[in-house]
Amino acid sequence: MSKEEVLHEQYRVEGLVMYQKHCENCHQANGKGFKKLYPALVGTNLLKRVSDQEMIHMIKFGIKADANHEFMPGNKELQAIEIAEIVTYVKDLNGVKEGIVEQKEVSRVSQ
Amino acid sequence: MFNRFSLWVLMCLSLVWVSCEQEKSLPYLGPKETKEVNGKIDTIYHQIPDFKFLNQDSAWVSQKDLEGKIYVADFFFTSCPTICPKMKTQMLRIYQRYLNNPNIQLLSHSIDPTYDQPHVLKAYANRMEVDAKKWNFVTGKKEDIYKIGQKSYMVSAQEDPNESGGFVHSGAFILVDKHRHVRGIYDGTKEPEVNQLIEDIEILLHEK
Repeated sequence: MSKEEVLHEQYRVEGLVMYQKHCENCHQANGKGFKKLYPALVGTNLLKRVSDQEMIHMIKFGIKADANHEFMPGNKELQAIEIAEIVTYVKDLNGVKEGIVEQKEVSRVSQ
Repeated sequence: MFNRFSLWVLMCLSLVWVSCEQEKSLPYLGPKETKEVNGKIDTIYHQIPDFKFLNQDSAWVSQKDLEGKIYVADFFFTSCPTICPKMKTQMLRIYQRYLNNPNIQLLSHSIDPTYDQPHVLKAYANRMEVDAKKWNFVTGKKEDIYKIGQKSYMVSAQEDPNESGGFVHSGAFILVDKHRHVRGIYDGTKEPEVNQLIEDIEILLHEK
């Protein structure tokens, strides 16, 4: 395994753990989603529709429905590294089997 | 002699056990009252009172719509980020299993009724691809919903600004029989408990 592959694997595995803790409740195991209520993250051309930055933004800040309600809650307690791992994992689910999303990309995304 | 006797005891016990197995019945939950009628003591079981809420089609749903039916009730809100998704995946299992049995109904109460107006509930139900004929999502006056939740269905349901999403509620599924008695309360976030609920629905279906 090359150094890059090891790094990808680390991020993927850590990302899976984080995903199970923070995302799976709604988006279900392996990103398969729940009906049309909680969108699937695989098989929906996610990476063509959403850039890394947009995905990071959604995870960090959520998606608002109105002042007090959210379609998707934000995760402001998550560290940059944790979001980087989640996005790497979700991209891996979508067939991106190499490379990682860097922490600094996450830190760059602001509200 | 002793051996024969213990064998006999064992047989009796196993007979009792077998007959218990065959006549499985569910308890009546909640406070009971006793009343004397013509010198006989009658037990009055806890009952869900009359209610009237608006569903996802902006139609009234009341105890009349559920008359003679077994139903499963729960408390949720559409923007709930915590346990509701788990509850809804489990409730959907019950929905699909009894899709063609009109005697089984589902009733989900919103505990965020000011936001969860019928059109919000409608969008939610549509996204789950479920039908109001079987599964009603209802909204109403906040105090009415909290009251029926706490007093009648015996679960916690109220506002709490410290909770994520702003409300605290249990993940309970409440099984109500044809006569509005509560016959079981289950953790709707756990698959094995919902399996038990389904087994108990089968028992109620065979009850006279």
